[in-house]
Amino acid sequence: MDLLSMRESYLSQRIMLCFNGPISRSLIEEIGNALRNYLNSQQATPSAAMDVFAAYIEMTQNIRHYSRVKGYDEESASATVAVAKNEDGHYMVSAGNLVELEDGEKLVATIETLADLDKQELKKAYKQQLRQPRDEDSNSGAGLGLLDIARKSSQPMQASLKALPDGRGFFSLTATI
Amino acid sequence: MTTDLNIPGSQSTPAIRSDWQAGLLTMQGDSYPENSYELFDQVIGWVEYFIGHESRPLSLELELVYLNTSSVKAMMDIFDLLEEAHLGGREISVTWRYDPRNERIAELADEFREDCTFPFAITPTRVET
Repeated sequence: MDLLSMRESYLSQRIMLCFNGPISRSLIEEIGNALRNYLNSQQATPSAAMDVFAAYIEMTQNIRHYSRVKGYDEESASATVAVAKNEDGHYMVSAGNLVELEDGEKLVATIETLADLDKQELKKAYKQQLRQPRDEDSNSGAGLGLLDIARKSSQPMQASLKALPDGRGFFSLTATI
Repeated sequence: MTTDLNIPGSQSTPAIRSDWQAGLLTMQGDSYPENSYELFDQVIGWVEYFIGHESRPLSLELELVYLNTSSVKAMMDIFDLLEEAHLGGREISVTWRYDPRNERIAELADEFREDCTFPFAITPTRVET
């Protein structure tokens, strides 16, 4: 394994923390804990640290939720997560996972719609989604979490979908806090 | 009366206590379990039971910090119950204490308060300097 080239790649992309593999409930907590400690040591303001943590939690819990609904095995249910700091000092939270191509296309479209909304419109959409009955919300899945991340972002979220040879897709999402 | 709640907190769940005699419910800490209703259904149940079986005032004292969206939804259900009781003439009050160094907590509390008409105080705790 070429760890040095991995390290250099992380450094050049300013990645502070990353993870790739099957993600469990307790792993989400442990990585989250490490993330919080790291942000603290970086002297991030408490509100910025909380926004980064929130984006991380919503993304990873969305991924767990999706894999559970789809009945994915451990390998398919894995997640790729990275937290970085860009040149302007903004924190970036990214997460990616395998999805059914059709679901991925819908997600990308949803995120593109959110990009057109200003903070007030996002708040309104968030509150409306919050009022959806429990069951309907869990069917639509990512809705509330995505709106929450959009509200905490300083610029529109970036989403991409790459079709894979097996017919599925790799969906990835980046939020800049 | 029903059994009081005394749920210790964990990394991802708040400490929750209820006091039937005092008409008091307290919650402290972070809340980001994957399925918040596994935790909050019993809290919702306690609040419903108290409102249904007592006519005394009910107070909530909260020191919640970070809530994931699943927990926000569950908390909204609790505030909706309180609002309904308040509109029915019940004396309800909520105090939410927060560390003033983190304005996100006050903003979160304020968004809940927007939908409530009962007394709802959002109070900064004293910071030791």
